[in-house]
Amino acid sequence: MATWNFRPIASALWRNRTGAMLVAFQIAIGLAVLVNAVYIVKQRVEKIGRPTGMDTANMIWVSSSGFAKDFDHDATWREDLATIRGIPGVQAASLISNIPLSGSGSSSGYQPKLGKVTPDETVPANTYLVDEHAVEALGITLSSGRAFLASEILPPIETFDSAPQAIVTKAFAKAMFPDDPNPVGKSFYDGLGKPIAIVGIIEHMHGAWVGWDKLDHVLLYPRIDNGPGSIYLVRAEPGRRDAVMRDIEAKLGDSNPDRLLRWVRTMDSFIERSYLEDRNMAIFLVSVTSALLAITALGIFGLATFNVSTRIRQIGTRRAVGARRMDIVRHFLVENWMVTTAGVVAGCGAALAVGYWISLKYELPRLDLYYLVGGVLAIWLIGLAAALQPARRASAISPAVASRTV
Amino acid sequence: MFGYYLELAFRNLKRNPGLTALMIGAVALGIAVCVMTLTMYRAMSGNPIWWKNDVLYAVTMDFWDPEQPAWDQKPDLPPTQFTYRDALAVYASDIPKRKVIMHKAVGIVSVDGQQVKPERALTRVTTKDFFAIFDVPMQYGGTWTDAADTGPEPVMVISRKLNEKLFAGANSVGERIRWNDNEFRIVGVRDHWMPLPTFYDVNNGSLEEPEDVYIPFGWNAALEIYSAGNTNGWKPEEVDTYEDFLNSENIWVQMWVELPDAQSRDRFMAFLDNYATQQKNAGRHQRPLNNRLTKPDQWLVDNDVVGNDDRVLVGLAFAFLAVCLLNTVGLLLAKFLNGAPMTGVRRALGASRKQVFYQHLVEVGVVSSIGAALGLVLGAVLLVGLRALYTLDPSDAAGTQAIAHVDMTSVVTALVLAFVATLAAGLYPAWRIGRIPPASYLKAQ
Repeated sequence: MATWNFRPIASALWRNRTGAMLVAFQIAIGLAVLVNAVYIVKQRVEKIGRPTGMDTANMIWVSSSGFAKDFDHDATWREDLATIRGIPGVQAASLISNIPLSGSGSSSGYQPKLGKVTPDETVPANTYLVDEHAVEALGITLSSGRAFLASEILPPIETFDSAPQAIVTKAFAKAMFPDDPNPVGKSFYDGLGKPIAIVGIIEHMHGAWVGWDKLDHVLLYPRIDNGPGSIYLVRAEPGRRDAVMRDIEAKLGDSNPDRLLRWVRTMDSFIERSYLEDRNMAIFLVSVTSALLAITALGIFGLATFNVSTRIRQIGTRRAVGARRMDIVRHFLVENWMVTTAGVVAGCGAALAVGYWISLKYELPRLDLYYLVGGVLAIWLIGLAAALQPARRASAISPAVASRTV
Repeated sequence: MFGYYLELAFRNLKRNPGLTALMIGAVALGIAVCVMTLTMYRAMSGNPIWWKNDVLYAVTMDFWDPEQPAWDQKPDLPPTQFTYRDALAVYASDIPKRKVIMHKAVGIVSVDGQQVKPERALTRVTTKDFFAIFDVPMQYGGTWTDAADTGPEPVMVISRKLNEKLFAGANSVGERIRWNDNEFRIVGVRDHWMPLPTFYDVNNGSLEEPEDVYIPFGWNAALEIYSAGNTNGWKPEEVDTYEDFLNSENIWVQMWVELPDAQSRDRFMAFLDNYATQQKNAGRHQRPLNNRLTKPDQWLVDNDVVGNDDRVLVGLAFAFLAVCLLNTVGLLLAKFLNGAPMTGVRRALGASRKQVFYQHLVEVGVVSSIGAALGLVLGAVLLVGLRALYTLDPSDAAGTQAIAHVDMTSVVTALVLAFVATLAAGLYPAWRIGRIPPASYLKAQ
């Protein structure tokens, strides 16, 4: 068993410390960036991948705008939905006031009891006005209670108002009635003190704004949205979405001269748009961090190559006096490991500092130490891999070099 | 001597093509990433009306919920918009040189007897000063009169883009156009105008394209127009009619004023405070007096137009550039030391330390010049990629195209920064090589 000879390696390294220090600096920055980038990317990927509670893959949205003076809102939406339901491959069609996960919508605050409440007792929710087909068209699951009946749907009104009934998500119900696991039939109140009875509870559903921490507080009211603009939700049978979209455009495009069929879009397009910033941030961080690590690896490689090329005679001498190839490889790997480790130690401090700054900026929990451990291991591996080829080349130097002049 | 040093530099660089490529590649990549990030950052955070920064003010007033501030994160800031009635009351002041109250709406525009299909158009419902106060360029005609605002008269300004679509770009002043089936007359065509970010209304993202249609503010009440931007309320109140809505505590109107000097600024501030106090005495506005006149640059900061992501990205870009530079210094040092025997000969033949230093500095300059040039090209390529990342629907990509517009100022900034940094980084290796005693290398030969 050969000794590891740390001391001579360290003293040889110290004689050429400038280059080593430069590489160690790069490694420190690389580690700080790597650890925090992975942390941010993981948050974003988790955010984008959250379940929505809806059958998003098969959902289609249609926007129609009436503009003529004699435009008949009520007749138009009834006719349009009847036309859409006649298209083969349509599972359900519904009239809804806004598009979930689109970044636009309405929200309101509610309270569990009458009278004045503190802001903490107010429970906010994303609100939607829907007809009796909405539950099926959204593809949401009711964990208890029931969907709205056709007879319960109220006519449109000019301004913002609620309805005496609502279907709410489990998350909203839990925030409103923490002690009641199944508050179907119970009432809560809007800001004006009007009671709203829960008729059904949605297992899970997302509302309008992906950045809002109350995204899963959703409330559906049985009311027809007022015109002249309308949004229709169409749920296609699995696999028939695109064909259904073409049919809708063909059938509604020119069916009514008093309005404009603004667009027919997939649910996925809205989700993609809402998460665009998060997705791009993740892509950007992954690419820049990879490039940064690649450059650091090249730096390590460059230093090792340089160290080998300036020590050809010494290596030859060592080989001539009995060092095995293994010993030479080990010498350079250990030397490189020392440089990497110096960088890693400094990098840990930098990573924690950057992590602290980011946690303040984003109001996120502090960087998990697992990330740091993972980052250190990754940097050690990268360092080893980058130095392997120069070390091997060094070990191939013939002992005869020692006796030659260069 | 410079020509000779240059020749030497190229000869030296050719001697280790691998190492040279590595150095130039590192510089280029560092510059490219910096150009890209800075361009993006500038697009997001620059002040697009900097020349009026000292005279233009966003007006805000705190009439929010007595129980809690409008912003949880910034409790001392008033809400960004006005209620309709307060906006009208403050607009009546004649202290500002120019003033505007406005909001965003949506309308369907159509032209009788034309083949063009009716089209949805984002519309700014605004008082007449909008174009003058924000220095908006006009292609044809101009804005409307005060009387048109209060009338309201059916007059409209459209964008150059919409004019090209509807009237093939001809001077359309005087033409008839329908907005939600109401007849309007065109009085002006706005020229190309793309302020980035869209500072004058930051409610719905800051990379939106400006509206295509502008109509007088008085049409709100006449046509019962609701905001297509944000409408926020805090007070539970019965709102059954549009009239109720106009008189409610809902905020949805933006206000800007132009105050040319400190004196008019103080007078307008006093006017605001006076109005708020009056309202308070009448039983409204139970929050502490908090009226503000905010300059455009501060306005962008207050409204978080520059997001945390952007700051992290700029930090990342500089970390990246630092790694690239450290790498280059390391490689230069290695390369120079590798050539030390040659330098030893030069020194022995009479080259001074200074000359050796200059000779190597020229070599550094060559590396950083080539790296900067390549980095610029690479940066442009990355920006095209960035545009692809941000463009989902090619038809509404105006704002994102502007991000990826290689903006000369940020390119020059990044370039000068990177070039100077690389050169500074090269100082150490060049100095170090000049200090090597020639004898030690000559001996080894």
